[in-house]
Amino acid sequence: MVARIKKLRTGLLALCCLASLGLGGELALAESAAPSYNYSYWGNAVAAPSAYEATTLITGASSGAGPFNNPQDIQVTEDQQIYVLDSGNNRFVILDQDYKSVKTVDAFEFKGKAEKFNNPQGIYVTQQKEVYVADTGNKRIVHLDSSFKAVGIIEAPKSELLQASFEFQPVRVAVDKADRIYVMSAGVFDGFMEFGADGVFKSFIGANRVHVDAVEYFWKSISTKAQREQMVMYTPTEFTNLDINDEGFLYATNGDDYGDPIKKLNAQGADILRREGYYKPSGDLMYSTRSGGAPRLVDIDVSDSEIYAVLDASRGRVFTYNGDGYLLYIFGGIGNRLGEFNTPVALEHSGDDILVLDQALGEITVFQTTEYGRTLNSAVRSYYNGDEEMASREFSKVVNLNANMEYAYAGIGKAYLRQGEYKESAEYFERSMDRTNYSKAFLLYRKEVLRGHFSTIMTGLIALLALWLGLRMFRKMKARKKVELH
Amino acid sequence: MNREALQHPLYVMVHPFNGYWDLKYERSQKTSLILSFGILFMLILTNVLGEQYSGFLVNMNNPRYLNSLLEAVYVLVPVLFWCVANWSLTTLMDGEGKFVEIFITTCFALLPIVLINFPWIWISNFISAQESSFYYFFKNFAILWSGLLLYVGIMTVHQFSPSKTVGTILLTLLAMAFMAFLTLLFFSLVQQMIAFVSTIYQEIVLRR
Repeated sequence: MVARIKKLRTGLLALCCLASLGLGGELALAESAAPSYNYSYWGNAVAAPSAYEATTLITGASSGAGPFNNPQDIQVTEDQQIYVLDSGNNRFVILDQDYKSVKTVDAFEFKGKAEKFNNPQGIYVTQQKEVYVADTGNKRIVHLDSSFKAVGIIEAPKSELLQASFEFQPVRVAVDKADRIYVMSAGVFDGFMEFGADGVFKSFIGANRVHVDAVEYFWKSISTKAQREQMVMYTPTEFTNLDINDEGFLYATNGDDYGDPIKKLNAQGADILRREGYYKPSGDLMYSTRSGGAPRLVDIDVSDSEIYAVLDASRGRVFTYNGDGYLLYIFGGIGNRLGEFNTPVALEHSGDDILVLDQALGEITVFQTTEYGRTLNSAVRSYYNGDEEMASREFSKVVNLNANMEYAYAGIGKAYLRQGEYKESAEYFERSMDRTNYSKAFLLYRKEVLRGHFSTIMTGLIALLALWLGLRMFRKMKARKKVELH
Repeated sequence: MNREALQHPLYVMVHPFNGYWDLKYERSQKTSLILSFGILFMLILTNVLGEQYSGFLVNMNNPRYLNSLLEAVYVLVPVLFWCVANWSLTTLMDGEGKFVEIFITTCFALLPIVLINFPWIWISNFISAQESSFYYFFKNFAILWSGLLLYVGIMTVHQFSPSKTVGTILLTLLAMAFMAFLTLLFFSLVQQMIAFVSTIYQEIVLRR
């Protein structure tokens, strides 16, 4: 009787478990309206909670500045003013924190003459709120001070580095703290153009490398000069965008299919981006030609703690990485709903929010963090600042929200390692597939175990040795007795 | 099967010239054949165990895609291909070996891989990243040892000269590649035939 009741009870329990499992699944489905995912160690796309969700849509009309026409670039200052470069209307609009227009600049005065922009493509605002505009149609860079008066204009530079037929078509611009100006110019394959604070052209930095196919190389090497002139020229890939971080490092994206589409350039132009993650930072790993083919990264944005986000125009997705190159989260997409785009061209962070500019629709989508995104950001930040205790706590929360976040386990493992809990540490590193750190933790754990059991192990060994010796002696004695008998 | 027969594979491992001679002329073929299948089975077993239970630092497999049956195929197909290719070649090249002899020789040569890899499945769970070079060293050492045994074995079983054995082995590898190509071609053709028949069937069924 008791057994029967027990059986019934377990059966009921199992039924309840099953039912709740089903419920949980449905809840999760209903919750994630936009599918969010991340890439696992094995390169599979696994479901993840969304880290960012679209909350607001800013249009030219809603801001009070009149509709945007083909806007190309946005820039956000530290006090969260948004500068929108409205290329089609040859102006830029400044929005305040409530996304209302506070000023529109479509003309400026230079040397007593009123001037206008002509199809400007890039804008950069320094910390002193000086504005640099890549005035593409007029082939110049315009430097305005904080009251929007022209301070200087950079025209086409003259240098022996440049060919006679060189055309200066600046499309993106960034300025570091020492007022050095970095310009991305259309049709230039030698990297970014670097100008001094005085507007004098200095040099090119950070050219992408040419990828040479072995077969192509063979054909070129055996063809005549006339034939070679008919062949396709191999030029390095152009950059597609740039951003500059607080320390003055340039972050750049390019359309390179073979090399690294994301680069962090130091003052020498060398690529120093850390790629310690499961995969090289490059946007989507798996894609089909039907959904837009290979990722086409069009903008990059660096925020604090070396976290950077890139925008993939082919699928409208934003990929965020930390300084070590681990993929943190993915959001966005191409479509008609809120949080999806038509032709995204620029992204920018404003505090913890992320803004994405859509060129064709003339809209800015504001994304705000969910609890998951906030926790993950704060974990990454605490780890970056060296607060491993705090990072571990936050990473534990992240794991509770998303058990598939392999990178978070390494964060917990590091804290355990620091605390001397080597076994737990090794276990967490194994879950995060971090072999280097696993080896470190495991060595310490092994040493600890061997030390703790040294006496037992040695006693055992000596006992075994003694047993073996005794057995041998016993056998010999037996053999001798046999000989004596015969 | 007596104790001496069981020990013979180990004797072959360290005394390949004498061991293979005995195998060809002295030993009972039935016992050797049983032992060969035993070695092959153990090789499959160690392969499966190794993929699953090797230490985290040296195990690069995605556990989700492990398939023990496929692991068995990865062992059986190369051995079978090798034996068939070698047999077909050496009958043309005046080799004295019969197919059974070639098979037994090949299986006996694989014993070092089993004996060296088996403990390392367990030991690899207790090593660090720096010590993993020992793991790879012993793995490669086992393969080299097996290669050497195979070389001596083929030489003995066919009564070839050393240089002719090298040539035979190279030709055998070539023949294996050719066989693989033919097999793939065959399967692809069969697949297309099946697809063709099924399409016709669908057409007829849907037209009605």
